[in-house]
Amino acid sequence: MPLDTSAYSLALLRVDGRRWNELRRIHAQIRTQAAADGSSYLEMGHTKVMCVVNGPSEPGPRRGGVATGGGGGGGGGQSKNAEVAVNIVIAGFSSVDRKRRGRGDKQVFELQSTISQALAASLHTHLFPHSTINISLHVLSQDGSLLAALINAATLACVDAGIPMTDYVAACTAGSTSTYAANDEGADPLLDMNHQEEQELPGLTVATLGDSDRVAVLVCESRVQVSRLEGMLAVGVDGCKQVREILDRVVREKGIKMIQEGTVERGVGLNDMELD
Amino acid sequence: MASSQHVLLSPAELAYLHASLSLTPPIRPDGRSPTQFRPLVAETGILPGTNGSARICFADGTEAIVGVKAEVERTRTRHDFPSLDEGAEGDDDDLEDNQHDVVKGDNDWVEMTVEIPGYRDDDAGTVFLSAMLSEALLADGEFTKRLWINRRFHWKLYLDILLISPPLSYPLPLLSLTTHLALLATRLPRLKSEGDEDPLFDDDWAAAAYLYPRPAAKKGSKKTTSFATPTARPPVTLLVMAVGNNIIFDPSKEELAVADVALAVSVGESSNPSSSTAMDIETEETKGHHNLRILSVRTIDPPSRLTPPGIPNASNSAYGANAAGAKDTEKKKQQQEQARTAESEAVEGVWKAPRGGAKPLVLAALVQKVLEKGGVADEVLDALDGVDLN
Repeated sequence: MPLDTSAYSLALLRVDGRRWNELRRIHAQIRTQAAADGSSYLEMGHTKVMCVVNGPSEPGPRRGGVATGGGGGGGGGQSKNAEVAVNIVIAGFSSVDRKRRGRGDKQVFELQSTISQALAASLHTHLFPHSTINISLHVLSQDGSLLAALINAATLACVDAGIPMTDYVAACTAGSTSTYAANDEGADPLLDMNHQEEQELPGLTVATLGDSDRVAVLVCESRVQVSRLEGMLAVGVDGCKQVREILDRVVREKGIKMIQEGTVERGVGLNDMELD
Repeated sequence: MASSQHVLLSPAELAYLHASLSLTPPIRPDGRSPTQFRPLVAETGILPGTNGSARICFADGTEAIVGVKAEVERTRTRHDFPSLDEGAEGDDDDLEDNQHDVVKGDNDWVEMTVEIPGYRDDDAGTVFLSAMLSEALLADGEFTKRLWINRRFHWKLYLDILLISPPLSYPLPLLSLTTHLALLATRLPRLKSEGDEDPLFDDDWAAAAYLYPRPAAKKGSKKTTSFATPTARPPVTLLVMAVGNNIIFDPSKEELAVADVALAVSVGESSNPSSSTAMDIETEETKGHHNLRILSVRTIDPPSRLTPPGIPNASNSAYGANAAGAKDTEKKKQQQEQARTAESEAVEGVWKAPRGGAKPLVLAALVQKVLEKGGVADEVLDALDGVDLN
């Protein structure tokens, strides 16, 4: 479906009615699944993903059938660091037209290794030698910003699993309104692209570490003017900070709820926390 | 994902579990009665991008999501089929009248995939699971008829079954129940075109018809139920196992590890004319009296066959008197003979993996138990009726 990009300059509103610097609705839950060590569910607009974390655990017997996915981050089972094995399942019903992805899909493979490396850098993998952290991600519905949603969901699930990490890895996408060079001054950077915008416009996915400006992941798969890259990156990093706030709120709300319900004991140093 | 997952239980533990499950009444590790299902949480219509979707969480934490997507596909023309031109040449009215006879389905119209994290999609266990689930669905040939649009087009139904959690127990009942709910919630756009035209559909989703139509709400009794019970329903596959003389439903992983026989029984509800005439009777009366019939039965290789056997004390060289003076050859010979008998004979309290196939009598008893009026299958179907389908 061709996107009428010229309409943007008229009202400065995007196809879904957002301004250039607005995120879509982000809704997240953690501890959605009792059987796993950590789990989360995340919606960014209509992109819906689920994450289940198991581990750190001893790497099981490697049978032929077990696919460890992109085990790029960290080392193998015998190394000093825990291996972060990411497995992504993109459901056939997730996109508008049903498209089945085979096991050896290159795109999925790249997503897996990107997430694996990003998390391996943030998690304290050196605390768990000779072990594996299994992260399985399920994509239930796709509407752009898939990699960002997957990173955010994986971060939340790792928090739920109680794996020590330096800070949240929060991700979001940024794009630019114009695809051609001539319209340089009129081009606005866009925050959090949906599927329609991703099809038409250049965009990148950026993930930062916590509140800092340290970029953990930067993926750009489209052609873009170098002059626009800086603006896009700045908007993206700003978006990541907003996303981090949202993720942090989700974790804190769940924590307070768990203390109130008596699931966990109130720890030391939590007395100053607002419990209302 | 095979049924024979590795269970970390010692022979002594297996023997204990087997003994307690063979008691009358059996004592299950989680305190359930033999016919009791694990409690579950279910919801439908979770994914607006699909024609129908459902999610079920069992109490042990296993979770599955099923999404159904439908696409219009051109039906392959057959050579033995009278061509359309011939029919048009004759009289159109005759064709219209005969339309009900023409309705026929094809098993290719349904595609089912099972995704289990950590397992390849061509893993033997995964393929077996999806074969079992689709076999039950296609068994009576009635289901594919629902996908018929006209003589030139049909719906192609894609069923994607995702297991979200790691497979803690054999996921067959979970996947089957979730598929059942997703199919009940599946809606297809209402057809606007007529006859053999290229299909044109109503774009109002509210007007979309359920794949499994439910009877129109009665005018008189508003308060009975907010949702109507569908007349026919998709099949449910139940996992049943036998230990000793006991029949146990919905076994957990540990229970399956000591099963003598494990069966996957697919049960459907036959839509008979007598029940449709009795539609005016209150729904409460008809509850618990589903017209059940068997669609398919599969034996499942229980993991108990792969468990290590225990050794009776008599033949254990590291135990008691044998450990002290087992030096002379006489005794050793004797011991070897004892060991041989121990291998072939069952010793009380010592675990021995079951051997041989299922006995016909046991199979008959298992199937009988599933079909029982007011039995487990009835109970499960009633419970699934309680899920709001929107």
